[in-house]
Formats: sequence, structure tokens, C-alpha cells
Amino acid sequence: MIAHSRPVVRWLSQLLLLGLALLFLAPLAMMLLGSLKADARVLTDAGSIGGLLSGEFSLQNYRDVFARTDFLRFLFNSLFITSTIVLCGMLVNSLAAYAFARLEWRGRGLLFNAVLALMILPLEAIAVPLFYGISLLGLRDTYTAQILPFIANAFSIYLFYTFFIGLPKELEEAARLDGASTLRIFFSIIVPNAKPVFASVAILSFLMWWGAYLWPLMVTIGPQVRPLPVAIAAFYTLPPLQWGDILAFGVMMVLPVLAVFLLFQRWFVRGVAASGIKG
Amino acid sequence: MAIRMLSGPGRPASPAIRALALSLLMTGLCVLGGCSDTADSTDPVLEIWAHAGQARERQTLESQVARFNRSNADLQARLTLIPEGSYNAQVQAAAVAGELPDLLEFDGPFLYAYVWQGRLRPLDDLLPRRLIDDLLPSILQQGRYRERLWSVGTFDSGLGLYADRSRLQAAGIRIPTLEQPWQRDEFTTILDRLAEDDADGQVLDLKLNYAGEWYTYAFSPLLQSAGGDLIDRRTYAHATGVLNGTDSVAALSDVQQWIESGRVDPNIDDAAFTTGRTALAFGGHWNYPRYHQQLGDDLLLLPLPDVGHGSRTGQGSWSWAVTADSAHPEAAARFLAYLLRPREVLAMSEANGAVPATRSAIARSPNYREGGALRLFVEQLESGHAVPRPRTPAYPVITAEFQKAFERIRSGSGVQATLDQAARVIDNEIVDNRGYPWLFSGKSEP
Amino acid sequence: MSGRRGLSDQTPTALLMAAPALLGLLLFLLLPFVLALAFAFTNLRLGSPLPLEFVGFKQFLRIFSDPGFLQALANNLLFAAVVVPLQTALALGLALLLDQGLRGTLVYRTVFFMPVVFPMSLVAVIWLLIYAPGPAGMMNQLLDLLSLGHWQPRDFLRDPALALPAIMLLSIWQGAGFQMVILLAGLQAIPLELHEAAALDGAGRWQRFLHVTLPQLRNPLIFVMLVTTILAFRLFDQVQIMTRGGPDNATTTMMFEMVQAVFTRQQVARASAMTVIFFLLVLLVTLVQRRLARQEGYRP
Repeated sequence: MIAHSRPVVRWLSQLLLLGLALLFLAPLAMMLLGSLKADARVLTDAGSIGGLLSGEFSLQNYRDVFARTDFLRFLFNSLFITSTIVLCGMLVNSLAAYAFARLEWRGRGLLFNAVLALMILPLEAIAVPLFYGISLLGLRDTYTAQILPFIANAFSIYLFYTFFIGLPKELEEAARLDGASTLRIFFSIIVPNAKPVFASVAILSFLMWWGAYLWPLMVTIGPQVRPLPVAIAAFYTLPPLQWGDILAFGVMMVLPVLAVFLLFQRWFVRGVAASGIKG
Repeated sequence: MAIRMLSGPGRPASPAIRALALSLLMTGLCVLGGCSDTADSTDPVLEIWAHAGQARERQTLESQVARFNRSNADLQARLTLIPEGSYNAQVQAAAVAGELPDLLEFDGPFLYAYVWQGRLRPLDDLLPRRLIDDLLPSILQQGRYRERLWSVGTFDSGLGLYADRSRLQAAGIRIPTLEQPWQRDEFTTILDRLAEDDADGQVLDLKLNYAGEWYTYAFSPLLQSAGGDLIDRRTYAHATGVLNGTDSVAALSDVQQWIESGRVDPNIDDAAFTTGRTALAFGGHWNYPRYHQQLGDDLLLLPLPDVGHGSRTGQGSWSWAVTADSAHPEAAARFLAYLLRPREVLAMSEANGAVPATRSAIARSPNYREGGALRLFVEQLESGHAVPRPRTPAYPVITAEFQKAFERIRSGSGVQATLDQAARVIDNEIVDNRGYPWLFSGKSEP
Repeated sequence: MSGRRGLSDQTPTALLMAAPALLGLLLFLLLPFVLALAFAFTNLRLGSPLPLEFVGFKQFLRIFSDPGFLQALANNLLFAAVVVPLQTALALGLALLLDQGLRGTLVYRTVFFMPVVFPMSLVAVIWLLIYAPGPAGMMNQLLDLLSLGHWQPRDFLRDPALALPAIMLLSIWQGAGFQMVILLAGLQAIPLELHEAAALDGAGRWQRFLHVTLPQLRNPLIFVMLVTTILAFRLFDQVQIMTRGGPDNATTTMMFEMVQAVFTRQQVARASAMTVIFFLLVLLVTLVQRRLARQEGYRP
């Protein structure tokens, strides 16, 4: 915190911020404005602000997206896959983390160290054999292949663990004396007191899977269970190349997430920051 | 019920427990979703996979499927369109788990790998004899492997040199024919002559913007015309000595020379020929509609130059096969026979501009019948000027390596060293697969 | 349930609670990883009718004599060497600017973070249009403006010298906000007294940055650099969508080569060997980070 800056510095900072913000926003502005223009005009107009703002605007591209692709299906697929991974993941990983953080049991130290060691393995380090296995089992082009392998997550367990370990023990002790079961204590006392970490984990895993491309590219075949990131890449390669339609697809693809992000921005920022400080 | 047990009697479920219930429900749903993909195969449904090509091609196939379904009440054909970029990869991965559809489309030269892996069922006994006899020789050539017919296309492709008649005439250049194509030195002279009248000296469009399979399709005929090839065609055991032999190196050195001397337009905007920037353009049947629209009667279709052993050109395109595990091979063949009716062949040819695969359809096609604007393509296919791409299970690696090599050669790498490397990788692949021994003789019997 | 009894009886409950996650990690993380290690020493191919064989280090020898893979490795390293410092510096700069408590800070934070919620595949498609060749392309226009009309329009993604830098730029645009938020949290965690004490000692703005801010930010900085380095090794989406590794391997990466091997050419064994090399690199980076970072709190 640099609390007392001279006015010159403040003005320079403001100017710099404004310039950077415009650079950051330019691609988004181009996407939004381009999506409202006739396909043929996008390539010629996209280069300049004047070009983007002039001419006629219409929603024709959006209608074309629905006519040319199964947009709602892709949207559903993405929402379904991501939310299932996030929800199941929150449950499964928080349960495990609680067992590691608060219960006394044989094998705890060994298994917890194993979980920590597994944190280092990114999806890319297992994609090949996983793809091979999924292909052998005939599970390609299913939701299962896109959801099941990613519910258990070592990093989520670690995030939950660090939070649970910091909760005061008194919270549980009264309930335990009342004879409440461990699961009951977990759901009725720990979970309500651990909302921030649930939010962090939800947001981090959401960001991770909402944009996932490599894995669904390998395991989906037709449009049946194809999620949005693969769908927009496929739409881009689908002739004829209509830039207006592609940009409209992009706008619709990002709008729901952007809305959620703007509404819960505080949580997004906190969730991301949590990954850094704890890590 | 599990929910009540956890939350205890008489108490409302907490938010966490409701979240738990929801996620259990979703897991259940997703498992069901996964299972239902394979569970509903009791109806006589004919599964078909095809590539998602150009819009009109796609729409034509979709309407053909719809028409077929209307006229066949006992059978439902169901079409899945797969993006072209990952098509072969998708088929290969699906094949492992026996998830292939009944009828499969693929890029012609990939056939031999599928046959070797035992994925397909021969068509000889499934298609009517007269239908097979009606097919172009190039279609049969591509579809035959180890003495059986495995795949047929409803169209074939044509590759040639498009030219602007008025610019050739202005430069006093002779117009070649299939019998008397331009010779190697003559072609270089022509490029130089045309460059004299050209603003930037770039007079030839090689469609360098296409990349991918185009490189193999369009430029391996030059190797063959020079006496070289992609692989030794007698044994199919090695590329070394052929792909990196003197003739192949000479052919690609010529191409590199055209590029380095500034005669080739990079065609970034895919409009080098239509905007008149070049007088000549390598191109396929699919370029014709736009070129014709732009140049009208000035548009000429010429054979590729002869760089030593006669003009050679490409052939082959998407083709269809019935899979080995299909429960409805007769139905699949019925659909295939439907696609091969003259009316349907013509409909597809009109949509994508390709050469109709049957002689009966060619006779009724304005562009391809005797005297038609694109008749040259048919003549090339019937007279043996068109060379099929190598008929070996190694084709996927051959074309991948050739594409890489061409990419490097066009950006200036040494031709010999680049082709040496490509030939080495291809040979390694063949050795790794033990020369592709024939393991499925039993399965090829119906 | 068994909770009401003593601590010694918690093992069944604990196992029950941990089982789903542990089973998942075992089946979908540990097992595939062990299989990758094993496959790397075989000739395994997807769908090949030939029998499986152990081939020793042959796949590794093949990979390291393949100019494509070596180029991919070099590209990954170059990407990391350029993007990690640039992106970290940008993110730090943004975080410092936002940490001054200026008007509109919240809006700016939103703007800089926004690209993070964009899927990379969408970003890649949008930037394909930005890099459109010809004078009308957005990037060509911008450079034309900045160079006061001296810029010759380029085809960024087909230019061997520009394709990788072009991909670097959009990756920085998409990722900087993520790092910024982490560094901002780090900045805000620095006790104000440290700055005040340094100011009392007569330290200037720059000196305080060097001697207070940077040392206090050490761990978050090392963390974001680790994450970005690993992301650089994982580079795939942008390459697959925008350039497919071209032109002439200028943008190919380990992951792109790996997917080409397993997906396009069915070479499971070769791709597994690439996986092993990728993993060793990630492991190396992680060990270096652990070494550098001061350990706090729980230590396994």
C-alpha cells in the first residue's frame, strides 16, 4: 500500500490504467460489435473503431447461429458437465479433506502425503492412458468420460484441508458430546462454517472445466455431448467461414459466465487469490 | 431416501444436504446418460458417419438421408457429421471399442489402414454387379485392396491447371492438351514470359494457403511425372530411395525454384486467381464454379505440366465402406446403392462440383459429359494419367510426413535433407508395424 | 454411525468419507500415470492388430531424434522464457497500480480479470480475427497506427518469425488477470507498518519497492511464476486452433506433438513417452519452486 502519492503520480497512474484497460477491452469490443455486423463486413471493418461503429447492426448472426448449430445443446452440455464436476467434486473432496484434517485414523499420514504428491500431476500427464482406457471401454462420446475422471481432485482436497485445519475445534466438540455422528457434524456444523472455501473450490474448478478443450476434443465425436469450447472451434472450421456468426456464438457462449462473474466477482477474486496464498 | 437417513427424522434438509442430493442425482443422470448412448440399439437403425464438408455438400447428404428414410419405412438411417479436421482420429479411436457405425465415410487413401486392422467388410457381394461395372475405373482402383472391393465413392476428384486464356494468348503461349502437355523447361519459360506482363511477377497460384492433404494430393503427381514417388510401389516396404531419390528431389526442387524466384502467389486471401493476380492456378474441381463465374469463357482447364514421364494428376476423394461389425450390412449396402443412383450421384456432383462416380451419371452431367467444360477430369481418370495415392496401411504416416516436408521445402529448407528425414520416418513406421502383415484373411470372408 | 464413540474408532468413518475421493484419485490419476510410465517402454498402438512388445528406450530415442519434437520442446522453453517474466511483470504492474486506492480501482480490476473467465478456445478464435492478414486486420491496423504508417501488413500466424510471439501475446492477455489477483492479495497482506518504518528510515518509493514490497511478495511471485511456467509446458489449445503447430513447426509444442501422436497417429506408446518427458519437466519446475519458496504452515 502506497498511501500518500503525489498528484502527478496519481494522474499518471490513472492514465496508464485507462490505456491498459482499453487494450484489454479492445478484443471484447470487437467481438461484441462484430457479432452485430453482416458476415462479409466483419473482416473489413474489424480493424478500426470507426469501422466497427459504422454501418448497420442486426441480430441476424444470432439467428444464424441457432440455424446452423445446435447451440442450446452445447450450452446444456457445458453447464451439465461443469456443474456436475463442481458439485460432486465439492462433496467428495470436502469429505476426504475433513477426514484428513479432523479424524484420527490409521494410514492418514501416508495417504495424505500421497494426495499431496498427486497434486503435481496435471491432466496432460495422464491424458494419453486415460484416453486409451476410455476408448477401450467404449466410453467415448459420453458425459461419463467427461465428468467421472475429474470429480476427485487433489488440489481441492488440499484447499479444503487447509481451511478445515484452521477451524476452531470447539465448534465440533459440543455437538460430539450431544452424540451427533461425524457425518452429521460435518454437514450441519463444518459445511455452514466453511462457505468461503466451498466458494473458492467451486470457482476454481469451474474456471478449470468450463474452458477445458484438450480432453473433450479427444473424447467427443459428434455434437451429442460436445461442450462449448470444442463446439466453437468446430464451428470455426465448418465451412463457409462466417465471422459474424462465429462472434455471435462467442458472445452467447461467454455471456452467462460473464454475468455470473460480474454478480459474484468478490468470490471469484477471493477464490483465485486463495489458490495463490495457500499454494 | 438416503437423504432422510442423513438428515434425520423430522428435520428439514440443510442446504449442504440438498446440494448433496442434487449432486447424487446428477451423477445418476450422467451415468444414465452414458449408458443410454449404447442401450437403444434395438430399432433397425442404420448408423452413418460422414464428414462435415461444405454447406451444400452437407445439406445434400442430409436430404439424401431424409429421402431414403421416407422411401424405406422398415429402416431408419441416422447421420452423424464429424468435423473434417479430426475425422480419421475419431474413426480410429471409435474402432478400438467396436463403436463404429454401420456405414462409414472416410478419405479414400485411408482405406488400406482400416482394412488391415480388420474394420471393414468387402463390398463385392453386397453391391449389385451392374452398379460396380458402372463405376469409374479410378473409384475401383482406390477401393480395391488384396483382391477385394472394400469401398466406393459417389464422386471422384479432378486436379488440373486453370488458366486465363486471354493472358496466355497475349503472351503468345501455346495451349496444351492431355496428349501434348507443357514440358518441364517449357513451363519455366512460360512462367518467366507471363511474369514479364505481370505487375508483381507472381503468375502462378499453387494454393499454398490450403496446406494439409492438399500438399500430397496436388504435388505428389509432380513427383510421379518426374519418375519419383512417395513410396516404392512394388513392395510398399520403403520410401527411402524413392521419396528422396533423384527424381522426387528434382521435382520438388523445381517447385521450390518457382517459389523462390517469386513466380508463386502465396494466395493468403484465397483469391489470387479470381482477382487476376495470377494467370495460372493449380486447382481442383471444387474451384470451377467460382473461377467460371469470374472469368467466363476466358477460363481454361489444362493438364498439369509434364516434368519427364508424362502429365500426372491426382484422384480419389471421400468414399464409403460397410464396417466389419455392422449388424445390418445389407441395409448399409442398400443405402449405398441408393446414393449411387444416377439422380443422387448427380445431385451430389452438383452440390460439390466433383466428378460423378458412375458412367451413367457422367453421361447426364452437363460439365462432365463429352464436350463438357470439365471433361478433362474424366479423361484423366479414365486414361491412367491420374495416380491413386499409395495403397498401403502406411498412407496416414506417408501423407503426414510428406505434408511436413513440403511445408519445410516451401519455406526454403534443403530438399534432399528434408526428404531424407521424411523417408526415414516413413520407413521406421513400416518397420514398427512389421511391414503390415496380413492378419485378417479369415475375416474378409463374408 | 460410529461417531459417538472414542477417537480410536474413527477409522471406519474416516475411510468411508475419504473413500470416494481416494478411489477417484487412484483410478483416474495414479493408475493412468503408472500406465503412462509402463506404456512408454512398449510399442502400444491404438487399434493395431500386432502383439504388444516391450521395446526398452526405443520410443525415447525416436522422440529425441525427431526434429519436430525437439522443436516443440524448444518452443515450450522459449514460450516460458518470454511469457513468464513478461506476464508476471505486467501482472505485478497492474497489481501495484490497483493497490494505490485510486478511483475506479474496482472497475479496472474487473476489466483486467475478465479475460480469465473466457475459455481459451474462444480467445483463440477471437484472436484469429485480430490477426487477420491484410491491411484491414485489427493487429495490422494497430501496428500501422503505432508506427505512424510504416507498418507493412503481415500474416502473423503464417509467418515463422511471428506466429509464436502472436500466440504468446494472446496468452498473456488471457492470463495476466489471474496472476494480478494473486499478487494484489499478496500486496494487501503486507503489513502497513513495514512501509511506514521504511519511510521513517528515509527510504524512497523505489527503495521501499525493492526492500519491502518485493521480499514480502516473494512467495506469491514464485507461485505465479511456477503456475505460468507449467502452463507454458501445457500449451495446446491456442496452437491446435490457430496454427496446428505451423508454419514449419514454428508453434508446435510438446502437448501438440503428444496429441498428434496418440490421436492422429494412434501411437499410444510414443505419446506416453512424451508424457513422461513432460512430467519430468513439471516435476523439475515444482522442485525448484519448493526450494525457492520459504515454507510456511503445514509441511508434508
